[in-house]
Amino acid sequence: MNVDYHALAPEIILGITVLAVLVVDLLRIPKYWTAVIGLVGLFAAFVPVLTLGFCESLDFCTEPETAQRVLFGGSFVVDTFSLVLKGLFLGATAVALLLSVGYIEEDRYWQGEFYFLMLCSALGAVVLASSRDLVTLFVALELVTGPTFLMAGWRKGDPRSNEAALKYFIIGVLSAAILLFGMSLVYGYTGELTFGGIRAATAALGDSALLTIGVILTLLGFAFKVSAVPFHFWTPDTYQGAPIPVTAYLSVVSKTAGFVGLLTLSYQAFAELRDVWGPLLWILAALSMTVGNLIAVRQDDIVRLLGYSSIAQGGFILVPFGAAVAGNVTGDQLEQAFFATVTYLLIYAVMNMGAFAVVIAGANRLKSTLIADWGGLSSYAPGLAGLLALFFASLAGIPPIAGWFAKLVMFSSVLGVDSGWATALAVIAVLNSVVAFYYYAKVIKSAWFDQVPDTIPAAELRGMGRAVAPSLQFALVLTAVGVLVLGIFPNLIADVGDVAKTVAAGF
Amino acid sequence: MLINQFLLLGAALFALGVYGVLTRRNAVMVLLSVELMLAAVNINFVAFDRLIGDELAGGQIFALFIIAVAAAEVGIGLAIILLIFRNRRSANVDELDLLKL
Amino acid sequence: MVVGDLDLASGIWHLASRHGGARVTAETVVFVIFAVVSVAGGLVMIGARNPVYSAMGLLMTMFSMAVFYVLNDAHFVAAVQVIIYAGAVMTLFLFVIMLIGVDRDEDRTEQIPFQRPLALVLGAGFLALVLIAARAAWVTGYGLFSGGEVNGTIENVADELFGTWLIPFQATVLLLTIAAVGTIALAQFAPRARGSAEGSGVSE
Repeated sequence: MNVDYHALAPEIILGITVLAVLVVDLLRIPKYWTAVIGLVGLFAAFVPVLTLGFCESLDFCTEPETAQRVLFGGSFVVDTFSLVLKGLFLGATAVALLLSVGYIEEDRYWQGEFYFLMLCSALGAVVLASSRDLVTLFVALELVTGPTFLMAGWRKGDPRSNEAALKYFIIGVLSAAILLFGMSLVYGYTGELTFGGIRAATAALGDSALLTIGVILTLLGFAFKVSAVPFHFWTPDTYQGAPIPVTAYLSVVSKTAGFVGLLTLSYQAFAELRDVWGPLLWILAALSMTVGNLIAVRQDDIVRLLGYSSIAQGGFILVPFGAAVAGNVTGDQLEQAFFATVTYLLIYAVMNMGAFAVVIAGANRLKSTLIADWGGLSSYAPGLAGLLALFFASLAGIPPIAGWFAKLVMFSSVLGVDSGWATALAVIAVLNSVVAFYYYAKVIKSAWFDQVPDTIPAAELRGMGRAVAPSLQFALVLTAVGVLVLGIFPNLIADVGDVAKTVAAGF
Repeated sequence: MLINQFLLLGAALFALGVYGVLTRRNAVMVLLSVELMLAAVNINFVAFDRLIGDELAGGQIFALFIIAVAAAEVGIGLAIILLIFRNRRSANVDELDLLKL
Repeated sequence: MVVGDLDLASGIWHLASRHGGARVTAETVVFVIFAVVSVAGGLVMIGARNPVYSAMGLLMTMFSMAVFYVLNDAHFVAAVQVIIYAGAVMTLFLFVIMLIGVDRDEDRTEQIPFQRPLALVLGAGFLALVLIAARAAWVTGYGLFSGGEVNGTIENVADELFGTWLIPFQATVLLLTIAAVGTIALAQFAPRARGSAEGSGVSE
């Protein structure tokens, strides 16, 4: 069989890295080498992503005749959309790995195996970005979530971490079962597994009650993965109980993987069934934004707050899908909606990773994640307080930090559609942005304008000089530069997102 | 050729699994119920495969993958359950209430 | 489309059914018997107080599944079902149940009110939904597909598995490795409550 190894290079490199980490872990050398190998592997896997993306300007690269490389009979496709998402997954995993190094080392956990699991999960995400059929999508999704069940319970002696793992696991397998039942009905009705085939078959066969149930169950399976309300109840518990770097990984990579599945399924496989998934995702978007934000307002723990905030952000990411609810939506508008979701995902990844990096740095020092304990952070750790303000302002969507551009394209994608439902969703999103602004600002205010609480011992404060681990500093700098550059030069991300939307072509 | 019958059986077993997941409290029992749901899905896939006359055997392949993935998930799940059991001497889902909504 | 050994039975049934009016094939008979067994297994599984009985109930269902696969010409899947599910996975389940304690009947008093009726409504509602949808969609069938012969032999399945589905196959291999590595990593630790065990499991 003739295999295009260039197209598979990111997966192959990551696969080799995964095995190398597992083997090196057995050697009697310091365990941080496993992390180093993991990082090197992630960067090495990024190289073929670039060469594939800029293939036309490279000599050695033989370009495919079409704009995309189709492997394995259409079940594995490397196009610009998948390359952008692969880049996102690799970058976000690299940051998550940097966040984990200090954290995992500190408590003498099993480092090597931890990085092995994280890289396996990242490999699953990278495969998922290219998967264009139900089998590959399902297996890749399981490869993303399987290791995270274990990672969530990595603080083995801590009952909270155990419980986080168990809840996440049960919800994970339950959602997989629901997803599979939906897929089985879709397969039974269309007789196809590839997205292209499903689309062609639904166009030829038309709608039916059974197909509708299949589509709804499939998408609900993904609603669990992206923790859309009302399938979110596992999220706060798991996010709070898991080690914080794992939470960061879950809220960015694992969640984005769920959205990628939703994107490819909705816009490719079920492209002809917009009147089924449009209303469904409209409802999920409205509920996620509203419920996530309203509960986030009442949180006093910063990790839990970020958990609910990520549910609400997930709602914002779903908003462009809701635009498809309108019957008269044009192909251009659907492409715009697709572009908005990809852009939001990219920016969300950078800013949410940054926010979690700050939380880890703060929690390392203060040994507390209560917002009240973070009062007066600026008086003894101005740098950290500044970064905290930066990332939370970005999450709130204040210009000129990256978050505003994500919100802008999100709003323009719904407002461009001439429909009462789309406008209603935009109004809900605006109201929610205001609520979200309130609680993000509350955290910033606490850090900058409140008094240092008495519960923080003076010795702790004096010890603040010894600072953040180098890997964590590196992660902080990377994400901070990211949100600033993307916020000030949004064209960069617009270009990337623009390139990525070719997947939706053909409406 | 039986297809409706297989579909109905699959739906019935899936519904039984849903009921089990929602009512059983022991984590091992919840996991067993999920296995029942996956078995129901497999019936669907294999029956549809024959109905369609899929020369690529797509439904059978999917069923194989589901079996393999479910085996891996069972391994992961039982590891987590045993971990909790060692820490708390209990595997009941709703005794775990350290984290509240 | 009945498997070899059943052809004789099939013929007898055809003869019998000529007089009886309704057309009963061996496939139908086998299906009905094992459908009853599998649903009974499922009921035992969700109803039994003792976890071991539950596991046995599921085992019954799993064996009936294998029969259904054979009925649908999926011979390799049937073999895998018996070896992996009924064999390995159920044994694993039984081991864990034994480890956690067989003698302890599960406490079935509900702490969340209405959970049981709610679950019943959800399960029954789901069943009804699929039934209604299936009646509309399947009774008449559709004519898009040729309905060719299915080939569920190992050779045919392997061709597909290592050709078209190479990537998911590799991913599944990795997933099984993950399960092994993760289980080892999670199992090797000493609960803090036992005191002196510090470091015995943590070999970093």
